[in-house]
Amino acid sequence: MNPADDPPQRVRVTAPRSAGRPTPGSYPVAREMAEQSEVGELFVRSLIRSQLRLALVVAAGFLLILIGIPVLLAVFPQIGELSVFTVPVPWLLLGLGVYPLVISCAALYVRSASRNEMRFRDLIDEG
Amino acid sequence: MNAELNPVVGYVALILVSLSTVLIGIYGLRISRTTGDFYVASRTVRPWWNASAIGGEYLSAASFLGVAGLILLSGVDALWFPVGYTAGYLMLLLFVAAPLRRSGAYTIPDFAEARLESLMVRRVTSLLVVVVGWLYIVPQLHGAALTVQITTGLPPWVGAVAVVVVVCLSVVTGGMRSITFVQAFQYWLKLTALAVPIVFILLRLSSTGSPITDAGAVFAAELNIGGDASLYRNISLVIALLFGTLGLPHVLVRFYTNPDGASARRTTLIVLGLLSVFYLFPTMYGILGRIYTPDLAADGAADATVLLLPSRIFDGAVGDLLSALVTAGAFAAFLSTTSGLVVSLAGVVSQEFFQGSVKGFRRAAVISALIPLLLALATNTLALAGSVSMVFAFTASTICPLLLLGIWWRGLTDVGAVAGMLSGAVLCGGSILAAAALGPASARYEWLQQPALWTVPAAFAVTILVSRLTVSRTPGSVSRVLARLHTPEPVQRP
Repeated sequence: MNPADDPPQRVRVTAPRSAGRPTPGSYPVAREMAEQSEVGELFVRSLIRSQLRLALVVAAGFLLILIGIPVLLAVFPQIGELSVFTVPVPWLLLGLGVYPLVISCAALYVRSASRNEMRFRDLIDEG
Repeated sequence: MNAELNPVVGYVALILVSLSTVLIGIYGLRISRTTGDFYVASRTVRPWWNASAIGGEYLSAASFLGVAGLILLSGVDALWFPVGYTAGYLMLLLFVAAPLRRSGAYTIPDFAEARLESLMVRRVTSLLVVVVGWLYIVPQLHGAALTVQITTGLPPWVGAVAVVVVVCLSVVTGGMRSITFVQAFQYWLKLTALAVPIVFILLRLSSTGSPITDAGAVFAAELNIGGDASLYRNISLVIALLFGTLGLPHVLVRFYTNPDGASARRTTLIVLGLLSVFYLFPTMYGILGRIYTPDLAADGAADATVLLLPSRIFDGAVGDLLSALVTAGAFAAFLSTTSGLVVSLAGVVSQEFFQGSVKGFRRAAVISALIPLLLALATNTLALAGSVSMVFAFTASTICPLLLLGIWWRGLTDVGAVAGMLSGAVLCGGSILAAAALGPASARYEWLQQPALWTVPAAFAVTILVSRLTVSRTPGSVSRVLARLHTPEPVQRP
């Protein structure tokens, strides 16, 4: 019996210390493109730019409306005296109205972000 | 403060919630076998399950009890808290969710090390994550102490100890996979526990012709205790909540259980829906509390509004049942947030000190739960929502710049990241401590007590400036890592 026939040593399996290691076989196209070709790097850069622009636009729009609420109430205090079914408008805006706004912003973002990624995939498939 | 409720109700509710938590944990043990299961539920949890679990984990004592308590105290200004808690997830969705899932890292320190190729960054990040986690567990235990005291009349420390014991049992036995089931169950428990009693209460009030909004008088600012919040305080609070959420360790770890980046985004969208529905209920409790439990504000027990409101409106068996339901929901809130934090802290601590084995994970979990217990027993209860907002400010000033710049900016260097995190920690932590030491009479108290508006930009500025000065330390892998974070996964072919 030569040493090559020995059963393999028992290996203790633990969580990877640096889980940043990719699993083999995932992301091959994108990574290859980014690492090996200038065109690929260009595609990736433009994807990142468009995703960042999208995120910033949605965030800015949301924050503008959100900060707009107290500013509006400060500028036109008479709005604060209106009420619907005895509930004053400021309570309605903050307690109820903000949530549909948050969800619409999020839905808009999810759709557009997926579209950006689809466009990137198409570019790579062509290339 | 004596027990105002039938103590049997409290005992039954607490025992039922604890038992079901441990049972689901044990059921989960049968299907969690590998180290991967233990840490991230093998990344195969469906979006709806996962979203419920995220909601269950996120809705803490501050949401379940604190929001209503704060509405009782400060009226319309308190509504900024649930708005901020929810909108924080929007920021998480926009800037962090998909890229972080694609990074493949399990904890924030893992991400930091992979992105910046530096052990130093990893160490500093680990330290901050653990501090944030401990600070966030303490108010949960305070909430548990208050709940147990009010519902059973037992001394407050019993509640804190009970939460830690149940959490340790369920985390040590099941790991992440079973925790996912427990958390998802607890979101729906919390929602039911608030929704069912409020429906009964509203029906009762309208059938007997009792006031619900008292023709709008309930909204009057004259009912508030303490003055109006300034514009500065509101904006600073919103900044803290918006940018603090994306750095919370137990929130991030949940995203690794999604199969890919796109489903991480879908999950977050569902979470936003779940949170929006949930926060309508504490708001209603707070509003009704302004008519039916105003005495709690004067007693300094405003956080008990949710617990006591049903018994103020119903007598006898119905009142007992509804109180039991609310108590169970509150306890679920402490359990789920605490166990989520303990799991994520245990992940960090065990990889740092115990080589990431399952046994090390268990040991680390017990350590991560015991230290905040000591802190909670040694400190006094603050208003829950208020003390949690300080943790958010601290996270926003430390972890948030690292994540946002690490994901979106090529120029970040390890030295820049460490400088930014440390200066954020010193500025924000120092200012909150200074506010506590100097007291409300001091000049610029609000600027010290709610510092996010200036400490978050300062931390970003330091990170960017120092990174610019150390351009030579930009890691060589930056293009490859960023490509990985932002490019979509290939379509799975069978």
